[in-house]
Amino acid sequence: MTASTGMSPVSRLGRIVRGWMEALGRGSRFVRETARAVPDTATWWPHASLHARVLGVDSLPIGIFIALFTGIVLAMLADYSVGDIVPPYFVGTLVQKTVTMELAPVLTGLALAGRVGANIAAELGTMKVTEQIDALETLAYDPYAYLVVPRVLAGTVMFPVVVAAAMLVGVFSGWLAALWLVDVPTVQFLKGVRLFFTEFDVRYGLVKSASFGTAVSLIGCYCGLHARGGAQGVGGAATRAVVLSAVMILVLDAFWAIVWLTGRTIQ
Amino acid sequence: MTSKQRVNDAVVGSTVLAVIVVVVATILWVNQSSFGSNTDSVYARTRDVGGVGVGNAVVIRGVQSGRVDQIALGDSGWVVVRLALDEDARLPTDPVVLLASSSLFGEWQVTVLDAEGVPNDRELRQAVEEARGARDTLPGALLPDIAQLTAVAGRIAGDVATVADRVRTAFDDEAAQEMRATIRNLASLSSELERTVSRQSRNLDQVGTDVQRGVRDLSAAAAVIDSVARRVDASTSRGEITTIVSTVQQAAQELLATSQQLRGLSADVGRTQIQLERAVANADSVFAKVNTGNGTLGLLVNDPRLYSNSDSLVIELRALLTDIRTNPRRYFNLRIF
Repeated sequence: MTASTGMSPVSRLGRIVRGWMEALGRGSRFVRETARAVPDTATWWPHASLHARVLGVDSLPIGIFIALFTGIVLAMLADYSVGDIVPPYFVGTLVQKTVTMELAPVLTGLALAGRVGANIAAELGTMKVTEQIDALETLAYDPYAYLVVPRVLAGTVMFPVVVAAAMLVGVFSGWLAALWLVDVPTVQFLKGVRLFFTEFDVRYGLVKSASFGTAVSLIGCYCGLHARGGAQGVGGAATRAVVLSAVMILVLDAFWAIVWLTGRTIQ
Repeated sequence: MTSKQRVNDAVVGSTVLAVIVVVVATILWVNQSSFGSNTDSVYARTRDVGGVGVGNAVVIRGVQSGRVDQIALGDSGWVVVRLALDEDARLPTDPVVLLASSSLFGEWQVTVLDAEGVPNDRELRQAVEEARGARDTLPGALLPDIAQLTAVAGRIAGDVATVADRVRTAFDDEAAQEMRATIRNLASLSSELERTVSRQSRNLDQVGTDVQRGVRDLSAAAAVIDSVARRVDASTSRGEITTIVSTVQQAAQELLATSQQLRGLSADVGRTQIQLERAVANADSVFAKVNTGNGTLGLLVNDPRLYSNSDSLVIELRALLTDIRTNPRRYFNLRIF
């Protein structure tokens, strides 16, 4: 019989809420500690490029791969959905708007949440369960400055780079698909791309992706540093990191849409 | 710094740099930004810009000749729009800026055209004229966009629906029966009309024949008239008309003289009438005296004896004359010398 057996529903609800609040508090303390460690550049700066390469440059292929097929599907979908209703150049408009503002950041973010989040959580979890982090602390290394900050900054900086590349590839592949598969001429496609294009589209997507990078790397670090037990605990930490990162990406996506798109028109 | 760190730095730096360059270049290309080419800034003012935004196309005679560079609120309720026109773009003589949606899907553009080309809409022209006056600023006006037109069309559609509903209400079964009866009457009327038309057609044929005959007669008459005219023309050319005219002139003169004579004769008759009246009055006086038996003539008329004596005297005179014819020598003895 567990401790919760025989608890009243109110007590059970209170316990659940308290669990949430504790998690929120732990997360907040984690973020605060990370922010506190940012000024310790001497510790994290030498490792920043390594993590930037691992989290960003090495993630470019997967981001480009996703965007490549996303652009093709979008062009086909646009033509299938509204091809008979609107002029053909709206295929370009739809591909540009959708890829730039939504699909490239979100799909790339979700893909990187799996790759980067799991990578960070597994790496830090392994270090945690093998007491390497305790050893670092023994050697007077700040684990936040040494392990968390370079990863979070790398994720924050490199996610937009990967997403920008994905935007370019997505629109380009949509262009090719429109040209070859749905018979929309290049002139028409470009007209549609230019018709409603604003720098805000790119800014919106990149800022959003930067927040995704921050969230994914923070969650990965948090889950890794709070791993318990052995290999099973590391696996669980990686799983939690991926799930929480994916959820947080969607939450942030809605958050940015509400913040930036409410009351804003295309003009 | 280890060589691995240097490689990582180089890879990350080159990747970030390459992505930034490509993204910025793509944005500039999509925005059709041009560096190194000069543009002329032209300002226009209007009360409202509708859906026009920075970057929208500026069109002159249907050719894109620039872009909207800036939109700002101006004084007195105006909106000032700065247009970046291509260097080789030439404005019309009296340029006017119209802001309008260029398609049904929310695209907007700015059209620069000559004032004479502004659509003949009273409110639009009034808006353009109102926007005039500012120096170095073109007058502008906003054309209603498709949303407004759609709203108007929606109201019209609503009105039509209301009318249709009323028609449907009014057009019940009774109305349908009346309509059918009307149609039947119409069919009957149509057949009657057809018969009438047929009859009238025959009449018209007859009339046509008569007219044709009349036309032929008229044609013949015209030929005769033509012949007469030719003769008149010929006689005119031979001087017969002149002779006739002079003869008529002479006759008129004689008639005038005769008239003068008649006028004199009439005066004589007047005088004669007066004398006659006077004579009649005298005679009347004499006859009155005769009737009353006054005087010798009265006695002669009124006394029967005198008639008897005269009659016997006549008889005797006849006997005398007879005797004279019979025996002239008894009464006449003619001697010469």
